[in-house]
Amino acid sequence: MRVSPAGRSRQLALVEDSPLRHADPRTKLFLSLAISLVVMTSIERLLIFLGVYVLFLLWARLFIPTVEHIWRLKWVLILLFFLDWWLISLDHAMLICLRLILLTGVFALFFSTTNTRELGLALEKLRVPYRYAFSLSLAFQSLGLLDDEWRAIREAQSSRGALPNVSSFWKFITNVGDLISLTVPAIVLTTKRAWAITEASYARGFDSPHRVSYHSLSFTRLDLLLITGTINLLILLFWRW
Amino acid sequence: MLRANQIAFRYPQEGHGLTPVSLNVEPGRITLVTGPSGCGKSTLARCLMGLIPHLYHGEISGEVWLNGYRTDEVPMWQLAEKAGMVFQNPAAQMLAPTVEDEIIFGLENLGLAHDEITTRLETALKDFNLAHMRHRNPQTLSGGEQQRLALAAILARQPDALILDEPLSMLDTTAATELIAYLQKFAADGKALVMFEHRHEYLDGLPELHHVALDGKERETEFPSANLSARETFKLNIDQLHVQLGKREVIQNLDLEMHSGQIVAIVGRNGVGKTTLLRSLAGLQKHGGSVKVSTAHGDETPNFGIAFQNPDLQMFNASVREEMLYRLPNPDLHYFRWLISALGLERYENTPPLLLSEGEKKRVALGLVLMRQPAHGLLLDEPSLGQDQLHKTILMRLLRTLADAGQLVVMTTHDLTLASHADRLILLGPGGEVIADGLSDAVLNDSAAWQKSGILLPDWFLRGRTESR
Repeated sequence: MRVSPAGRSRQLALVEDSPLRHADPRTKLFLSLAISLVVMTSIERLLIFLGVYVLFLLWARLFIPTVEHIWRLKWVLILLFFLDWWLISLDHAMLICLRLILLTGVFALFFSTTNTRELGLALEKLRVPYRYAFSLSLAFQSLGLLDDEWRAIREAQSSRGALPNVSSFWKFITNVGDLISLTVPAIVLTTKRAWAITEASYARGFDSPHRVSYHSLSFTRLDLLLITGTINLLILLFWRW
Repeated sequence: MLRANQIAFRYPQEGHGLTPVSLNVEPGRITLVTGPSGCGKSTLARCLMGLIPHLYHGEISGEVWLNGYRTDEVPMWQLAEKAGMVFQNPAAQMLAPTVEDEIIFGLENLGLAHDEITTRLETALKDFNLAHMRHRNPQTLSGGEQQRLALAAILARQPDALILDEPLSMLDTTAATELIAYLQKFAADGKALVMFEHRHEYLDGLPELHHVALDGKERETEFPSANLSARETFKLNIDQLHVQLGKREVIQNLDLEMHSGQIVAIVGRNGVGKTTLLRSLAGLQKHGGSVKVSTAHGDETPNFGIAFQNPDLQMFNASVREEMLYRLPNPDLHYFRWLISALGLERYENTPPLLLSEGEKKRVALGLVLMRQPAHGLLLDEPSLGQDQLHKTILMRLLRTLADAGQLVVMTTHDLTLASHADRLILLGPGGEVIADGLSDAVLNDSAAWQKSGILLPDWFLRGRTESR
């Protein structure tokens, strides 16, 4: 698998050789919405869908990046599973975890094959005003940087012994006030970054009424196949059988 | 073309800003504006670009004229068609997921035809030597490449005036010299160029230079006499150190030995692993090989304080005093008084650190590290970045005092003047390997080593060294 260089260590890398990389981002948004809808169905149908979804990910060469992405949530999933099993039932625990896995997978599927410029363009074509489409795509682009900054703050505060002691739940509760050593720098850095980006975009005519789009989007046979396939699958899954 | 007439500005919350100043930026010349930290250089740059008053609100007086437009009377996008601005931090001004999209963004906003955008994009990629990295994520580029891209993205819009706010501060000497060459070409085309910069040495002597110095309120404070207890001598042994970041081996089997009482400068191009080396010494970076301190009584785990590039990572308390004394169970108040005075921060003792200038914040960050009295010394990552001469002087005096008291001071820097004041200079090559290591003077005279490292020793620096002899 050929993977293009990611921005930072924890940012999702674009999978350049995935067939979905050539699909229209609007199609991928539709796919993502459809999968998010499917998670509302019953566990039996969800298990059938999961099988189809895994085959789809294998075809799209996205299985490994999706699994890696879901793996980051392992502790949340384990906690959720056992809490739901204990408080409600095993079926419910499985259902909730499957839903979370699928929703996380959708995020990986979309952002492993779509860059933020393509996301912005898709939103624009869907009549989202440019100002908001641009802001949203920029926000997604900044996620990796925010993660890096958060880690840098933790490291800097730990090096001076100012990292809150949250080694246990009780210590977290009793030392919650100490979190200020992390939150204040985080707010300051985020605000500064937001201002820097605002200045840079305005200095390049961001608010110009004459703006044109250099890139364009077009549906291909692949998009048609993906959309009709998804609609058929939705009908099958939600049909009363 | 670009003219400020008694322009003044005050930010609403912060209370500081810019006192009235007039400036006339003539086409075909490079106007260099210098001044101490906190004198309002960035504020003036924002006023010239029109970001003040369009984005920033506060008390403003005077006027700025750009190509016949009064900047407060026309919308921002119209001003951006006439002038462009490049900012200090290249990474923070990257907006797009790829290098070519970064350039296209500004061209789209001009409303140009598709073919014209293609032509300008290709020209910019070629002129700024970015074509081979056109599909890369700008955040993965080095500082020099990012600053080149920022300039390419602005110049592709073909502005009549260019405003640069400390564009050299994060660049190594090679990247800085390259940038100056681009700027000279821009000015030679009869365009207006104004640059706000501490590192003015790169421009000194240019025939087209017009130098304007802003007044500042900074004053030099007297350095208090030190009475630091001498430390036991020790050696820092770095043995076969290797660090892998992702798939890239940033440091490969590095062997070094450093001694207490020394100031060691580590110099190398952007991205060769200087910061990673410091982080490894501080115990913040997972690494292979060993880093240990040897004393007469045996080996010890290294215990260094580390001052980061960005002081905002650590500031959160309500006053400088609280920041420096935070979580110290039994602070040595006598040492605190000496330190705050040595750092020139006495008058800010009760001021919130977030309200200080960048240089002052850097000194607070240094102070809070030193208050913990690390056993073996201090590590500093680019301590002079974006600093004026006063800050550098305070810094060097303090570092010398610490070294004289038996501490080991290790700093990474692009600032060759600062490096020349160190006792020892370690020059890293493009792959992070040690190319030269020895007394600062000897390494600075080894022109073959500098050539091998890819770092240009600028003319102003060589001239200065010849004259000082």
